[in-house]
Amino acid sequence: MAASTRSRLATPFMDAGFSDQSPLGAGDPISEEEALRRLRLTDDPSAQYYAAWWLGRNRSTHPDAVPLLQEALRQRRPRDLGAGVEENAVARNAARALGKLAPAALVAIEDLLATLEDEDHGLREAAARSLGELRAQAAVAPLVRRLATGPSVAGAQQPGTPRLVEPCEALLEALGDIGVATPEVLKVIEPFVQHERPLIRSAASRALLQLTGEERWGQLLVELLQHQQLQVRRAALMDLGGAGWRPALDPIARTLAENSLKLIALRGLVENAGPGSEPASDPTLDASTVAVMEAMDALL
Amino acid sequence: MPAVLELVEAVRRADTALGLLQATQALAAAAHPESAACLVEILGFNNPGAAVAAVDGLIAIGEPAVDTILTNIDGYNYGARAWAVRALAGIGDVRGLAVLEDALGKDIGPSVRRAAARGLGQLRLAGLPAEERHGMALRCLQALVDGCRDGEWVVRYAVVVGLESLASALGGDGAVDSARPRQQLMDALRGLHGDANEEAPVVRLRAALALQRLEAAHD
Repeated sequence: MAASTRSRLATPFMDAGFSDQSPLGAGDPISEEEALRRLRLTDDPSAQYYAAWWLGRNRSTHPDAVPLLQEALRQRRPRDLGAGVEENAVARNAARALGKLAPAALVAIEDLLATLEDEDHGLREAAARSLGELRAQAAVAPLVRRLATGPSVAGAQQPGTPRLVEPCEALLEALGDIGVATPEVLKVIEPFVQHERPLIRSAASRALLQLTGEERWGQLLVELLQHQQLQVRRAALMDLGGAGWRPALDPIARTLAENSLKLIALRGLVENAGPGSEPASDPTLDASTVAVMEAMDALL
Repeated sequence: MPAVLELVEAVRRADTALGLLQATQALAAAAHPESAACLVEILGFNNPGAAVAAVDGLIAIGEPAVDTILTNIDGYNYGARAWAVRALAGIGDVRGLAVLEDALGKDIGPSVRRAAARGLGQLRLAGLPAEERHGMALRCLQALVDGCRDGEWVVRYAVVVGLESLASALGGDGAVDSARPRQQLMDALRGLHGDANEEAPVVRLRAALALQRLEAAHD
Protein backbone atom coordinates (compact mmCIF):
# COMPACT_ATOMS: atom_id res chain seq x y z
CA MET A 1 0.00 0.00 0.00
CA ALA A 2 1.34 3.33 -1.00
CA ALA A 3 2.08 6.47 0.81
CA SER A 4 0.10 5.50 3.82
CA THR A 5 2.26 6.96 6.52
CA ARG A 6 3.86 10.28 7.03
CA SER A 7 6.82 8.53 8.60
CA ARG A 8 7.83 8.09 5.00
CA LEU A 9 8.72 11.72 5.03
CA ALA A 10 11.85 10.62 6.77
CA THR A 11 12.96 7.88 4.41
CA PRO A 12 15.80 8.42 2.02
CA PHE A 13 13.92 7.59 -1.15
CA MET A 14 12.65 11.11 -1.30
CA ASP A 15 14.35 14.18 -2.54
CA ALA A 16 13.26 16.60 0.06
CA GLY A 17 16.25 16.09 2.29
CA PHE A 18 14.67 14.78 5.46
CA SER A 19 17.15 12.44 6.99
CA ASP A 20 16.26 11.13 10.43
CA GLN A 21 16.49 7.46 9.61
CA SER A 22 18.35 7.59 6.35
CA PRO A 23 21.78 6.23 7.06
CA LEU A 24 23.08 7.47 3.75
CA GLY A 25 26.59 7.78 5.14
CA ALA A 26 26.61 4.00 5.46
CA GLY A 27 24.58 3.67 2.31
CA ASP A 28 26.75 1.27 0.38
CA PRO A 29 24.76 -1.25 -1.63
CA ILE A 30 24.69 -4.50 0.30
CA SER A 31 23.08 -7.90 -0.18
CA GLU A 32 20.33 -9.37 1.95
CA GLU A 33 22.83 -11.86 3.41
CA GLU A 34 25.10 -8.99 4.37
CA ALA A 35 22.23 -7.10 5.99
CA LEU A 36 21.32 -10.17 8.05
CA ARG A 37 24.97 -10.64 9.04
CA ARG A 38 25.23 -7.03 10.20
CA LEU A 39 22.01 -7.26 12.17
CA ARG A 40 23.60 -10.08 14.19
CA LEU A 41 26.53 -7.85 15.23
CA THR A 42 25.16 -7.00 18.66
CA ASP A 43 28.35 -5.16 19.59
CA ASP A 44 28.15 -2.86 16.58
CA PRO A 45 24.96 -0.76 16.83
CA SER A 46 25.70 1.36 13.80
CA ALA A 47 26.01 -1.74 11.60
CA GLN A 48 22.76 -3.04 13.09
CA TYR A 49 21.09 0.32 12.58
CA TYR A 50 21.75 0.28 8.87
CA ALA A 51 20.93 -3.42 8.54
CA ALA A 52 17.53 -2.99 10.21
CA TRP A 53 16.69 -0.09 7.93
CA TRP A 54 17.86 -2.03 4.88
CA LEU A 55 15.65 -5.05 5.60
CA GLY A 56 12.57 -2.84 5.90
CA ARG A 57 13.41 -0.71 2.90
CA ASN A 58 13.91 -3.75 0.72
CA ARG A 59 10.94 -5.62 2.18
CA SER A 60 13.01 -8.66 2.96
CA THR A 61 11.14 -11.94 2.97
CA HIS A 62 14.07 -13.95 4.33
CA PRO A 63 12.90 -16.25 7.17
CA ASP A 64 15.62 -14.86 9.49
CA ALA A 65 14.64 -11.22 9.00
CA VAL A 66 11.66 -10.99 11.37
CA PRO A 67 13.24 -13.04 14.23
CA LEU A 68 16.41 -10.94 14.06
CA LEU A 69 14.42 -7.71 14.04
CA GLN A 70 12.43 -8.92 17.05
CA GLU A 71 15.75 -9.59 18.75
CA ALA A 72 16.99 -6.11 17.85
CA LEU A 73 13.79 -4.62 19.20
CA ARG A 74 14.49 -6.29 22.56
CA GLN A 75 17.89 -4.61 22.70
CA ARG A 76 16.17 -1.43 23.83
CA ARG A 77 17.18 0.06 27.14
CA PRO A 78 15.50 2.19 29.77
CA ARG A 79 15.82 5.77 28.64
CA ASP A 80 19.24 6.88 29.78
CA LEU A 81 20.86 9.66 27.82
CA GLY A 82 24.47 8.87 27.13
CA ALA A 83 24.24 5.13 27.61
CA GLY A 84 21.38 3.39 25.85
CA VAL A 85 20.73 5.87 23.10
CA GLU A 86 22.50 4.10 20.31
CA GLU A 87 20.87 0.78 21.03
CA ASN A 88 17.47 2.40 21.13
CA ALA A 89 18.22 3.77 17.70
CA VAL A 90 18.63 0.17 16.56
CA ALA A 91 15.34 -0.74 18.25
CA ARG A 92 13.59 2.18 16.55
CA ASN A 93 14.75 1.09 13.14
CA ALA A 94 13.83 -2.51 13.94
CA ALA A 95 10.32 -1.39 14.92
CA ARG A 96 10.00 0.61 11.71
CA ALA A 97 11.25 -2.27 9.60
CA LEU A 98 8.77 -4.70 11.12
CA GLY A 99 5.94 -2.44 10.00
CA LYS A 100 7.01 -2.96 6.41
CA LEU A 101 7.27 -6.74 6.56
CA ALA A 102 3.67 -7.93 6.62
CA PRO A 103 2.56 -10.68 6.67
CA ALA A 104 5.70 -12.27 8.15
CA ALA A 105 5.91 -9.57 10.81
CA LEU A 106 2.44 -10.25 12.18
CA VAL A 107 4.11 -12.56 14.72
CA ALA A 108 5.93 -9.49 16.09
CA ILE A 109 2.75 -7.63 17.03
CA GLU A 110 3.15 -8.67 20.69
CA ASP A 111 6.67 -7.22 20.71
CA LEU A 112 5.45 -3.99 19.16
CA LEU A 113 2.60 -3.76 21.69
CA ALA A 114 5.18 -4.08 24.47
CA THR A 115 7.28 -1.39 22.76
CA LEU A 116 4.23 0.87 22.69
CA GLU A 117 4.52 0.92 26.51
CA ASP A 118 8.21 1.91 26.48
CA GLU A 119 9.29 5.08 28.23
CA ASP A 120 11.20 6.18 25.13
CA HIS A 121 8.92 8.54 23.20
CA GLY A 122 10.66 7.78 19.88
CA LEU A 123 10.21 4.06 20.36
CA ARG A 124 6.52 4.44 21.12
CA GLU A 125 6.20 6.52 17.99
CA ALA A 126 7.91 3.94 15.79
CA ALA A 127 5.93 1.08 17.34
CA ALA A 128 2.62 2.88 16.83
CA ARG A 129 3.29 3.54 13.16
CA SER A 130 4.28 -0.06 12.55
CA LEU A 131 1.23 -1.40 14.37
CA GLY A 132 -0.81 0.81 12.06
CA GLU A 133 0.96 -0.50 8.98
CA LEU A 134 0.35 -4.07 10.17
CA ARG A 135 -3.34 -3.24 10.75
CA ALA A 136 -2.99 -4.66 14.26
CA GLN A 137 -6.46 -4.56 15.77
CA ALA A 138 -5.00 -5.56 19.15
CA ALA A 139 -3.35 -2.13 19.21
CA VAL A 140 -6.60 -0.17 19.14
CA ALA A 141 -7.24 -0.35 22.91
CA PRO A 142 -3.74 0.72 23.98
CA LEU A 143 -3.65 3.48 21.35
CA VAL A 144 -7.00 4.81 22.55
CA ARG A 145 -5.83 4.62 26.16
CA ARG A 146 -2.74 6.76 25.38
CA LEU A 147 -4.83 9.41 23.63
CA ALA A 148 -7.81 9.36 25.98
CA THR A 149 -6.64 12.30 28.10
CA GLY A 150 -7.03 14.49 25.05
CA PRO A 151 -5.14 17.49 23.64
CA SER A 152 -4.67 19.12 27.04
CA VAL A 153 -2.79 16.18 28.58
CA ALA A 154 -1.64 13.60 26.02
CA GLY A 155 -1.33 16.45 23.54
CA ALA A 156 0.38 18.93 25.88
CA GLN A 157 3.94 19.97 25.24
CA GLN A 158 6.50 18.33 27.48
CA PRO A 159 8.35 20.99 29.45
CA GLY A 160 11.82 21.60 28.10
CA THR A 161 11.31 19.73 24.80
CA PRO A 162 9.41 20.39 21.60
CA ARG A 163 7.67 17.03 22.03
CA LEU A 164 4.17 16.37 23.16
CA VAL A 165 3.53 14.05 26.10
CA GLU A 166 2.53 11.31 23.65
CA PRO A 167 3.64 10.87 20.03
CA CYS A 168 0.15 11.98 19.02
CA GLU A 169 0.66 12.10 15.27
CA ALA A 170 1.81 8.49 15.15
CA LEU A 171 -0.93 7.29 17.51
CA LEU A 172 -3.66 9.04 15.51
CA GLU A 173 -2.25 7.84 12.24
CA ALA A 174 -2.16 4.25 13.48
CA LEU A 175 -5.82 4.36 14.53
CA GLY A 176 -6.75 5.60 11.05
CA ASP A 177 -4.72 2.90 9.34
CA ILE A 178 -6.03 0.07 11.50
CA GLY A 179 -9.56 1.10 10.59
CA VAL A 180 -11.66 0.21 13.60
CA ALA A 181 -14.35 2.90 13.54
CA THR A 182 -16.17 2.42 16.83
CA PRO A 183 -17.83 5.42 18.53
CA GLU A 184 -15.26 5.17 21.30
CA VAL A 185 -12.34 5.48 18.86
CA LEU A 186 -13.94 8.41 17.03
CA LYS A 187 -14.71 10.20 20.29
CA VAL A 188 -11.08 10.01 21.37
CA ILE A 189 -9.74 11.26 18.04
CA GLU A 190 -12.17 14.15 17.44
CA PRO A 191 -10.84 16.64 20.02
CA PHE A 192 -7.44 16.52 18.29
CA VAL A 193 -8.79 18.34 15.20
CA GLN A 194 -8.77 21.39 17.53
CA HIS A 195 -5.16 20.89 18.63
CA GLU A 196 -3.01 24.01 18.53
CA ARG A 197 -0.46 22.34 16.25
CA PRO A 198 -1.55 22.04 12.63
CA LEU A 199 0.36 18.77 12.16
CA ILE A 200 -1.76 17.17 14.87
CA ARG A 201 -4.94 18.59 13.36
CA SER A 202 -3.88 17.10 10.04
CA ALA A 203 -3.19 13.67 11.51
CA ALA A 204 -6.53 13.65 13.35
CA SER A 205 -8.45 14.74 10.25
CA ARG A 206 -6.79 12.05 8.21
CA ALA A 207 -7.68 9.35 10.73
CA LEU A 208 -11.30 10.52 10.89
CA LEU A 209 -11.50 10.68 7.10
CA GLN A 210 -10.17 7.13 6.85
CA LEU A 211 -12.55 5.87 9.50
CA THR A 212 -15.75 7.66 8.48
CA GLY A 213 -15.33 8.86 4.89
CA GLU A 214 -17.07 12.08 5.93
CA GLU A 215 -16.35 15.01 3.66
CA ARG A 216 -15.86 17.51 6.50
CA TRP A 217 -12.61 15.82 7.52
CA GLY A 218 -11.36 15.87 3.94
CA GLN A 219 -12.19 19.56 3.73
CA LEU A 220 -10.12 20.25 6.83
CA LEU A 221 -7.14 18.64 5.13
CA VAL A 222 -7.74 20.58 1.92
CA GLU A 223 -7.70 23.79 3.99
CA LEU A 224 -4.34 22.77 5.44
CA LEU A 225 -2.94 22.53 1.90
CA GLN A 226 -3.09 26.34 1.99
CA HIS A 227 -1.27 26.68 5.30
CA GLN A 228 1.56 29.20 5.32
CA GLN A 229 4.11 26.64 6.52
CA LEU A 230 5.49 24.29 3.89
CA GLN A 231 5.89 21.54 6.49
CA VAL A 232 2.14 21.62 7.18
CA ARG A 233 1.26 21.58 3.49
CA ARG A 234 3.52 18.56 3.06
CA ALA A 235 1.83 16.71 5.90
CA ALA A 236 -1.64 17.46 4.56
CA LEU A 237 -0.55 16.15 1.14
CA MET A 238 0.61 12.88 2.68
CA ASP A 239 -2.56 12.61 4.73
CA LEU A 240 -4.89 13.11 1.78
CA GLY A 241 -2.87 10.55 -0.16
CA GLY A 242 -2.93 8.13 2.75
CA ALA A 243 -6.70 8.43 2.96
CA GLY A 244 -7.07 8.16 -0.82
CA TRP A 245 -9.60 10.99 -0.91
CA ARG A 246 -10.15 11.69 -4.63
CA PRO A 247 -12.09 14.96 -4.31
CA ALA A 248 -8.70 16.44 -3.31
CA LEU A 249 -7.19 15.83 -6.75
CA ASP A 250 -7.22 19.44 -7.98
CA PRO A 251 -6.26 21.04 -4.66
CA ILE A 252 -3.31 18.62 -4.40
CA ALA A 253 -2.14 19.44 -7.92
CA ARG A 254 -2.28 23.18 -7.11
CA THR A 255 -0.54 23.03 -3.72
CA LEU A 256 2.68 24.99 -3.35
CA ALA A 257 5.00 22.11 -2.55
CA GLU A 258 7.53 19.87 -4.24
CA ASN A 259 6.23 17.80 -7.13
CA SER A 260 7.83 14.75 -5.49
CA LEU A 261 5.38 15.02 -2.62
CA LYS A 262 2.39 15.75 -4.80
CA LEU A 263 3.23 12.66 -6.83
CA ILE A 264 3.32 10.53 -3.68
CA ALA A 265 -0.03 11.98 -2.60
CA LEU A 266 -1.60 11.33 -6.00
CA ARG A 267 -0.22 7.80 -6.02
CA GLY A 268 -2.10 7.42 -2.75
CA LEU A 269 -5.32 8.58 -4.43
CA VAL A 270 -4.89 5.86 -7.04
CA GLU A 271 -3.87 3.03 -4.74
CA ASN A 272 -5.63 3.71 -1.46
CA ALA A 273 -9.28 2.95 -1.82
CA GLY A 274 -11.89 5.36 -0.65
CA PRO A 275 -12.28 6.12 3.03
CA GLY A 276 -13.60 3.38 5.22
CA SER A 277 -12.53 0.51 3.00
CA GLU A 278 -9.48 -1.63 2.51
CA PRO A 279 -6.78 -0.51 0.12
CA ALA A 280 -7.59 -1.68 -3.38
CA SER A 281 -5.33 -4.53 -4.36
CA ASP A 282 -6.27 -4.17 -7.98
CA PRO A 283 -7.26 -0.65 -8.94
CA THR A 284 -8.76 -0.38 -12.39
CA LEU A 285 -8.59 2.00 -15.32
CA ASP A 286 -11.83 3.85 -14.65
CA ALA A 287 -12.18 7.49 -15.67
CA SER A 288 -11.45 8.82 -12.20
CA THR A 289 -8.22 6.80 -11.92
CA VAL A 290 -7.11 7.95 -15.37
CA ALA A 291 -7.74 11.56 -14.32
CA VAL A 292 -5.46 11.13 -11.31
CA MET A 293 -2.73 9.62 -13.48
CA GLU A 294 -3.01 12.45 -15.99
CA ALA A 295 -2.47 14.89 -13.14
CA MET A 296 0.60 12.85 -12.15
CA ASP A 297 1.95 12.94 -15.71
CA ALA A 298 1.81 16.73 -15.63
CA LEU A 299 3.95 16.83 -12.48
CA LEU A 300 6.83 14.72 -13.74
CA MET B 1 15.80 50.68 -17.61
CA PRO B 2 14.30 48.09 -19.99
CA ALA B 3 11.26 46.35 -18.63
CA VAL B 4 12.90 42.94 -18.34
CA LEU B 5 15.72 44.32 -16.18
CA GLU B 6 13.18 45.90 -13.87
CA LEU B 7 11.50 42.53 -13.51
CA VAL B 8 14.86 40.89 -12.75
CA GLU B 9 15.54 43.61 -10.22
CA ALA B 10 12.21 42.85 -8.54
CA VAL B 11 13.25 39.20 -8.18
CA ARG B 12 16.53 40.27 -6.57
CA ARG B 13 14.72 42.56 -4.14
CA ALA B 14 12.15 39.95 -3.08
CA ASP B 15 12.69 39.10 0.57
CA THR B 16 9.78 36.77 1.29
CA ALA B 17 8.73 33.47 -0.26
CA LEU B 18 5.52 35.04 -1.51
CA GLY B 19 7.32 38.11 -2.86
CA LEU B 20 9.74 35.88 -4.76
CA LEU B 21 6.86 33.85 -6.16
CA GLN B 22 5.07 36.95 -7.44
CA ALA B 23 8.21 38.52 -8.88
CA THR B 24 9.08 35.26 -10.61
CA GLN B 25 5.61 34.94 -12.06
CA ALA B 26 5.90 38.46 -13.49
CA LEU B 27 9.34 37.75 -14.95
CA ALA B 28 8.23 34.42 -16.39
CA ALA B 29 5.17 35.99 -18.00
CA ALA B 30 7.44 38.31 -20.01
CA ALA B 31 9.08 35.22 -21.60
CA HIS B 32 12.06 37.34 -22.60
CA PRO B 33 15.30 35.55 -23.58
CA GLU B 34 17.32 37.93 -21.41
CA SER B 35 15.49 36.70 -18.32
CA ALA B 36 16.71 33.11 -18.81
CA ALA B 37 19.79 33.43 -16.59
CA CYS B 38 17.74 34.85 -13.74
CA LEU B 39 15.03 32.20 -14.15
CA VAL B 40 17.67 29.47 -14.07
CA GLU B 41 19.08 30.97 -10.88
CA ILE B 42 15.63 30.87 -9.24
CA LEU B 43 15.57 27.09 -9.76
CA GLY B 44 18.17 26.83 -6.98
CA PHE B 45 16.32 28.92 -4.39
CA ASN B 46 14.42 26.05 -2.75
CA ASN B 47 11.09 27.77 -3.32
CA PRO B 48 8.91 25.23 -5.16
CA GLY B 49 6.24 27.76 -6.14
CA ALA B 50 8.80 30.11 -7.66
CA ALA B 51 10.58 27.22 -9.35
CA VAL B 52 7.36 26.09 -11.03
CA ALA B 53 6.87 29.62 -12.36
CA ALA B 54 10.52 29.84 -13.48
CA VAL B 55 10.25 26.52 -15.36
CA ASP B 56 7.11 27.80 -17.08
CA GLY B 57 9.00 30.95 -18.04
CA LEU B 58 11.93 28.99 -19.46
CA ILE B 59 9.60 26.77 -21.46
CA ALA B 60 7.83 29.86 -22.79
CA ILE B 61 11.18 31.30 -23.91
CA GLY B 62 11.92 27.97 -25.55
CA GLU B 63 14.99 27.34 -27.69
CA PRO B 64 16.79 30.60 -26.86
CA ALA B 65 16.90 29.46 -23.20
CA VAL B 66 18.50 26.08 -23.90
CA ASP B 67 22.15 27.18 -23.87
CA THR B 68 21.68 29.06 -20.63
CA ILE B 69 20.08 26.03 -19.02
CA LEU B 70 22.73 23.62 -20.30
CA THR B 71 25.65 25.74 -19.14
CA ASN B 72 24.20 26.31 -15.69
CA ILE B 73 23.21 22.77 -14.65
CA ASP B 74 23.89 22.73 -10.91
CA GLY B 75 26.10 19.76 -10.07
CA TYR B 76 25.59 20.18 -6.33
CA ASN B 77 21.89 20.83 -5.91
CA TYR B 78 19.66 18.08 -7.23
CA GLY B 79 16.54 20.07 -6.52
CA ALA B 80 17.77 22.71 -8.93
CA ARG B 81 18.91 20.07 -11.42
CA ALA B 82 15.48 18.48 -11.40
CA TRP B 83 13.84 21.79 -12.30
CA ALA B 84 16.42 22.45 -15.02
CA VAL B 85 15.87 19.02 -16.55
CA ARG B 86 12.14 19.64 -16.34
CA ALA B 87 12.57 22.86 -18.29
CA LEU B 88 14.68 21.04 -20.89
CA ALA B 89 12.02 18.35 -21.12
CA GLY B 90 9.32 20.96 -21.63
CA ILE B 91 11.25 22.75 -24.36
CA GLY B 92 12.07 19.48 -26.11
CA ASP B 93 15.17 20.79 -27.86
CA VAL B 94 17.40 17.98 -29.14
CA ARG B 95 20.49 19.75 -27.76
CA GLY B 96 19.29 18.48 -24.39
CA LEU B 97 19.43 14.80 -25.40
CA ALA B 98 22.84 14.00 -23.92
CA VAL B 99 21.95 15.71 -20.64
CA LEU B 100 18.66 13.79 -20.45
CA GLU B 101 20.36 10.45 -21.18
CA ASP B 102 22.98 11.13 -18.58
CA ALA B 103 20.44 12.30 -16.03
CA LEU B 104 18.18 9.26 -16.35
CA GLY B 105 21.09 6.84 -16.28
CA LYS B 106 23.25 8.33 -13.56
CA ASP B 107 21.77 11.13 -11.51
CA ILE B 108 21.47 10.43 -7.79
CA GLY B 109 18.30 12.50 -7.48
CA PRO B 110 15.10 10.58 -8.28
CA SER B 111 13.38 13.84 -9.18
CA VAL B 112 16.10 14.49 -11.77
CA ARG B 113 15.80 11.01 -13.28
CA ARG B 114 12.03 11.34 -13.29
CA ALA B 115 12.09 14.61 -15.20
CA ALA B 116 14.63 13.19 -17.64
CA ALA B 117 12.52 10.13 -18.37
CA ARG B 118 9.58 12.29 -19.27
CA GLY B 119 11.80 14.54 -21.39
CA LEU B 120 13.22 11.63 -23.36
CA GLY B 121 9.72 10.93 -24.61
CA GLN B 122 9.03 14.41 -25.87
CA LEU B 123 12.05 15.72 -27.76
CA ARG B 124 10.91 17.63 -30.81
CA LEU B 125 12.41 15.49 -33.53
CA ALA B 126 9.98 16.39 -36.31
CA GLY B 127 12.10 18.97 -38.12
CA LEU B 128 15.17 16.77 -38.44
CA PRO B 129 16.32 14.69 -41.44
CA ALA B 130 14.95 11.14 -41.24
CA GLU B 131 18.26 9.43 -40.44
CA GLU B 132 19.10 11.81 -37.64
CA ARG B 133 15.61 11.68 -36.27
CA HIS B 134 15.63 7.91 -36.22
CA GLY B 135 19.03 7.75 -34.53
CA MET B 136 17.92 10.12 -31.80
CA ALA B 137 14.65 8.30 -31.24
CA LEU B 138 16.62 5.07 -30.80
CA ARG B 139 18.87 6.71 -28.23
CA CYS B 140 15.81 7.90 -26.32
CA LEU B 141 14.33 4.42 -26.51
CA GLN B 142 17.49 2.76 -25.24
CA ALA B 143 17.76 5.16 -22.30
CA LEU B 144 14.11 4.57 -21.38
CA VAL B 145 14.37 0.79 -21.71
CA ASP B 146 17.35 0.89 -19.32
CA GLY B 147 15.31 3.13 -17.02
CA CYS B 148 12.68 0.38 -16.56
CA ARG B 149 15.04 -1.08 -13.96
CA ASP B 150 15.31 2.09 -11.90
CA GLY B 151 14.97 1.50 -8.15
CA GLU B 152 12.42 4.27 -7.59
CA TRP B 153 8.77 3.81 -8.43
CA VAL B 154 8.36 7.42 -9.54
CA VAL B 155 11.14 7.05 -12.09
CA ARG B 156 9.61 3.86 -13.47
CA TYR B 157 6.29 5.71 -13.66
CA ALA B 158 7.96 8.49 -15.63
CA VAL B 159 9.62 5.91 -17.90
CA VAL B 160 6.16 4.60 -18.79
CA VAL B 161 5.01 8.11 -19.65
CA GLY B 162 8.21 8.69 -21.65
CA LEU B 163 7.79 5.45 -23.60
CA GLU B 164 4.17 6.22 -24.41
CA SER B 165 5.00 9.62 -25.83
CA LEU B 166 8.09 8.36 -27.65
CA ALA B 167 6.00 5.87 -29.60
CA SER B 168 4.84 8.52 -32.05
CA ALA B 169 8.46 9.37 -32.91
CA LEU B 170 9.14 5.73 -33.79
CA GLY B 171 6.15 5.07 -35.98
CA GLY B 172 4.96 6.10 -39.38
CA ASP B 173 8.32 6.49 -41.05
CA GLY B 174 8.80 4.69 -44.33
CA ALA B 175 12.48 5.58 -44.73
CA VAL B 176 13.77 3.47 -41.87
CA ASP B 177 12.69 0.31 -40.22
CA SER B 178 10.55 1.22 -37.24
CA ALA B 179 8.85 -2.09 -36.57
CA ARG B 180 11.58 -3.54 -34.36
CA PRO B 181 12.06 -0.45 -32.15
CA ARG B 182 8.31 -0.24 -31.75
CA GLN B 183 8.25 -3.86 -30.70
CA GLN B 184 10.99 -3.15 -28.18
CA LEU B 185 9.02 -0.22 -26.80
CA MET B 186 5.84 -2.27 -26.43
CA ASP B 187 7.81 -5.09 -24.79
CA ALA B 188 9.24 -2.64 -22.27
CA LEU B 189 5.74 -1.44 -21.39
CA ARG B 190 4.44 -5.00 -21.14
CA GLY B 191 7.34 -5.85 -18.86
CA LEU B 192 6.44 -3.01 -16.49
CA HIS B 193 2.75 -3.86 -16.67
CA GLY B 194 3.28 -7.52 -15.88
CA ASP B 195 5.98 -7.25 -13.22
CA ALA B 196 4.64 -9.14 -10.22
CA ASN B 197 7.43 -7.72 -8.06
CA GLU B 198 6.48 -4.12 -8.79
CA GLU B 199 5.98 -2.45 -5.40
CA ALA B 200 3.84 0.35 -6.84
CA PRO B 201 0.52 -0.72 -8.36
CA VAL B 202 0.26 2.73 -9.95
CA VAL B 203 3.25 1.94 -12.21
CA ARG B 204 1.58 -1.20 -13.55
CA LEU B 205 -1.67 0.66 -13.96
CA ARG B 206 -0.03 3.51 -15.87
CA ALA B 207 1.66 0.93 -18.13
CA ALA B 208 -1.73 -0.67 -18.77
CA LEU B 209 -3.09 2.73 -19.79
CA ALA B 210 -0.15 3.37 -22.13
CA LEU B 211 -0.56 -0.05 -23.76
CA GLN B 212 -4.30 0.46 -24.15
CA ARG B 213 -3.79 3.82 -25.85
CA LEU B 214 -0.96 2.67 -28.13
CA GLU B 215 -2.73 -0.50 -29.18
CA ALA B 216 -5.89 1.48 -29.94
CA ALA B 217 -3.90 3.99 -32.00
CA HIS B 218 -2.13 1.27 -33.94
CA ASP B 219 -5.19 -0.72 -34.96
